[in-house]
Amino acid sequence: MEMSELTQSSAPRRFLGGQLLGSSQLVLGIILAVLCIAISIAAPQFYSEANIIAILRQCALVLIVASGMTMLIITAEVDLSVGASLAFVGCIGMAVLNSTHSLALGMLAALAFAGGVGLFNGLVVTRLKVNSLIATIGTMMMLQGGVYLFTREAVQNHHRLISFTDLGAGYIGAIPLPVVIAVVIFAIAAVTLRFTTLGRYLYAVGANERAVRLSGVRSERLKLFAFVVTGLCVGVAGMILSSLMNAGQPTAGRGFELTVIAAVILGGTSLLGGRGSLFGTLLGVLVMKVIDNGIIILGWNQDLQMVVPGVVIILATYLDIIRNRANVG
Amino acid sequence: MSLASTDTMKAGPSMLARLFARQELALLLCLILVIAFFSFTAENFFSVRNMTNVLGQASLALTAGIGCAIVFISGEVDISIGSLLATIALPLIIIMNDTNSLLLGVGGALLFGLIIGVVNGYLTAYAGINSLIVTLGTMFIMRGGVYLYTGQRAIPDDAALDSFIALSDGRLFNVVPYSAVIAIVLLVVFAYMMQHRPFGRQIYAVGGNPEVARLAGYDVRRVKFICFVISALLATVAGIILAARVGSAQHTAGLNFEFQVVAATVLGGVSLAGGIGSLTGMALGVLILQFLSNGLRGLGLPTEWQLVITGMIIIAAVAFDEAKRRRIVGG
Repeated sequence: MEMSELTQSSAPRRFLGGQLLGSSQLVLGIILAVLCIAISIAAPQFYSEANIIAILRQCALVLIVASGMTMLIITAEVDLSVGASLAFVGCIGMAVLNSTHSLALGMLAALAFAGGVGLFNGLVVTRLKVNSLIATIGTMMMLQGGVYLFTREAVQNHHRLISFTDLGAGYIGAIPLPVVIAVVIFAIAAVTLRFTTLGRYLYAVGANERAVRLSGVRSERLKLFAFVVTGLCVGVAGMILSSLMNAGQPTAGRGFELTVIAAVILGGTSLLGGRGSLFGTLLGVLVMKVIDNGIIILGWNQDLQMVVPGVVIILATYLDIIRNRANVG
Repeated sequence: MSLASTDTMKAGPSMLARLFARQELALLLCLILVIAFFSFTAENFFSVRNMTNVLGQASLALTAGIGCAIVFISGEVDISIGSLLATIALPLIIIMNDTNSLLLGVGGALLFGLIIGVVNGYLTAYAGINSLIVTLGTMFIMRGGVYLYTGQRAIPDDAALDSFIALSDGRLFNVVPYSAVIAIVLLVVFAYMMQHRPFGRQIYAVGGNPEVARLAGYDVRRVKFICFVISALLATVAGIILAARVGSAQHTAGLNFEFQVVAATVLGGVSLAGGIGSLTGMALGVLILQFLSNGLRGLGLPTEWQLVITGMIIIAAVAFDEAKRRRIVGG
């Protein structure tokens, strides 16, 4: 880890202040601020309470999965199956709720399924040594096919559990419940990454897996852990999504994996592993969703919601490269 | 698994082991097994008509797969090809509708493809941005651009030129679909380039070890740049064939196509790490998956099962390949 920091000349990530000033998060923060100011000048309703809550609610789902995905990408692996898994989890959760009328059992089934998918991905990658990009494309295909074998149409809400509806639509005080859940998961993941030995090892595995293994740590287990955590995050997000839609949709989550990965990369986490932070991911998610929201508020064509993030990902990465070059030079 | 491997090592490489050591032979054997299995189990599978149909269906992935494999071998990835399929259909169909000329339409499509390839290649090779991020970005931009331009409606091919329709319906000597002929010709040309021309060797060198390639005097950036242009142009050809087949410019054309092509390419033994693999392997990978899905359909299994089984086979194949490679390295 020390080695990678020296060679990549990245700022020490243990101190929040250093991180804010020294790295790509500063660029991202400025982008976010400029966006917010520009949009609110063009459309003053941007700062209305209803709109801010809408943005936060939009962010919640992506942030939950992105929290796990950030850990995973820091270990130099990636999971493309999260979108397909999200849809499947929603259908399974809803089906279990319909037959048991118990939110706990439904959540448990969703978490077990999504965690199982993560475990499967992790085992294929760590035991069979399959490149994670390919392994999770394979899982994605299996899940996409599997969900249609499970149900051809949306699994409707027949149980009418109020606690389930609250999962997506409820509030704690003035804050939507999904946002609270997202913040809690984000906080746990951020503390784990920054302040625990486990977190430090996750960085180390991504930066130099061989060195970690030689120092006596079982690197496979760390990667397996990151895959399972990502899976569990998908489980939570899948239940919230099916609560918001009031149905388990087999077609939900298409392209979700790309949104999540784009937000993580935008936040400065390197696909090569060993570098990145959850704080950056938070900024990445916010930037993407503020852009989405701005496009709607300004009354622009909603198809721009695909074009603009594409431009932003490339630009942000390019800015990061230029900044790194300037630092090195 | 480990026991079995030590056994074979003690006994010396068996006939089977030697056969499997050669990637393409192992793949060919798999392909023959797949065809043999479905010939016995699925009705109407083993007929000239069905075989040539499968070839026609495979022509899209074969053509785009050449580019995908070349980019992989150069050590990069291109996942924008699915969106590219939908994008280049727009100039193709619009120009043909306006001018009634296949030549101008194809020219317009190729020009678009060229621009996309130049953008992907420039951002990766010269601006130095990770190719996964670049092509993820252009994938979003192109798909969104197509949605914006078309308002999410298909643009029908009003010109209905005979020569264009022949691309999907026509058959050489009434047997082999023209689309398959195009794919095979391109495959032969590029396979020759990769194996026997200096530029092919440069691509392998750049993907295998960019630093050594640079010291050997190769222009690493230029090589990678050209690989992206080749990939985009070949995907354009695939896009033209697809547009002829569906008879319109579809905004949803090529959704998930990049994943199918990447899967088939990796199944064919082309490594994501660069420098390893061959176009023959890629072609066999594409054919295995195509015959498999055709055969499963022949057995009456729903399309969803094809997805599930394809996913399992991709994972199993790469895992098997990896185990074999480690045994060689370890031994």
